Amino acid sequence: MQVKTTRFGVVDIADDKVITFTQGLLGFPDHTRYCLLEPGDDACFFWLQSLDEPALAFVVTDPALFFKEYEVPIRAEQAEALSIEKIEDAQVFVIVNKVGEVLTANLQGPLLINTLNLDGQQLVLADKRWSTRHTLMQVGIEEKQAATA
Amino acid sequence: MLVLSRQRDETIMIGDAVEITIVDIRGDKVRLGINAPHQVAVHRKEVYDAIKAENRKAAEAQGVEFNALSSAVRPGRRAGLSPAGRINSKATNKTSNGNPTDEHATRLPLNGSDTRRKAST
Repeated sequence: MQVKTTRFGVVDIADDKVITFTQGLLGFPDHTRYCLLEPGDDACFFWLQSLDEPALAFVVTDPALFFKEYEVPIRAEQAEALSIEKIEDAQVFVIVNKVGEVLTANLQGPLLINTLNLDGQQLVLADKRWSTRHTLMQVGIEEKQAATA
Repeated sequence: MLVLSRQRDETIMIGDAVEITIVDIRGDKVRLGINAPHQVAVHRKEVYDAIKAENRKAAEAQGVEFNALSSAVRPGRRAGLSPAGRINSKATNKTSNGNPTDEHATRLPLNGSDTRRKAST
């Protein structure tokens, strides 16, 4: 299907790549269909692009790349809601934000996705170790490194 | 807003399925016990609101920087879900970086991260 996006123009998405958040994301209950876009090869940041609203997209990443201690406890009923039968079939992403020159990750509200049927849900973690803003990196520094690499 | 007075160990019902019991009262702190079906999510409101607000801010990010970042950071391992589309329509020959992961698989074994995810089943 052809998906209009504000940032990337029209993108062609296969039907079996549509990620469905039945309840939407927190604050965005009406937008339930998304797809994952990759900005380039070897990317560790992705765009979670709404299929219903061209302007709505989130930068997401795999938290395991940045936070070795991070864990997302999945309760039986949450796994059931997404039809996750094996934990290997679950993938966790976290939403990335930019605060000043710092990229942060929301570890308190991770996205849990069943990689087989692409059903997803945003979880709310009660664990006080995780907040909505964990520093990922300084944007300016990384860009400089990229330029000199 | 409906306001009810309750004493310790008394309960209110919300619908047929949600029970809230006053477990303890100490000074300005009240402890609540909640019985609700699994489908009903129960959260502290400030946590819920914080995530909502963070989602909204993240949605506003312009994100030009992120594209530059993706080439600056080379993780040892990719995310398991294969993306639906590539923004830069580069060729999809993926063998050049020596990464053993298969780009075209619908999912990949999550390696080390499996063990950090716990299921309570």
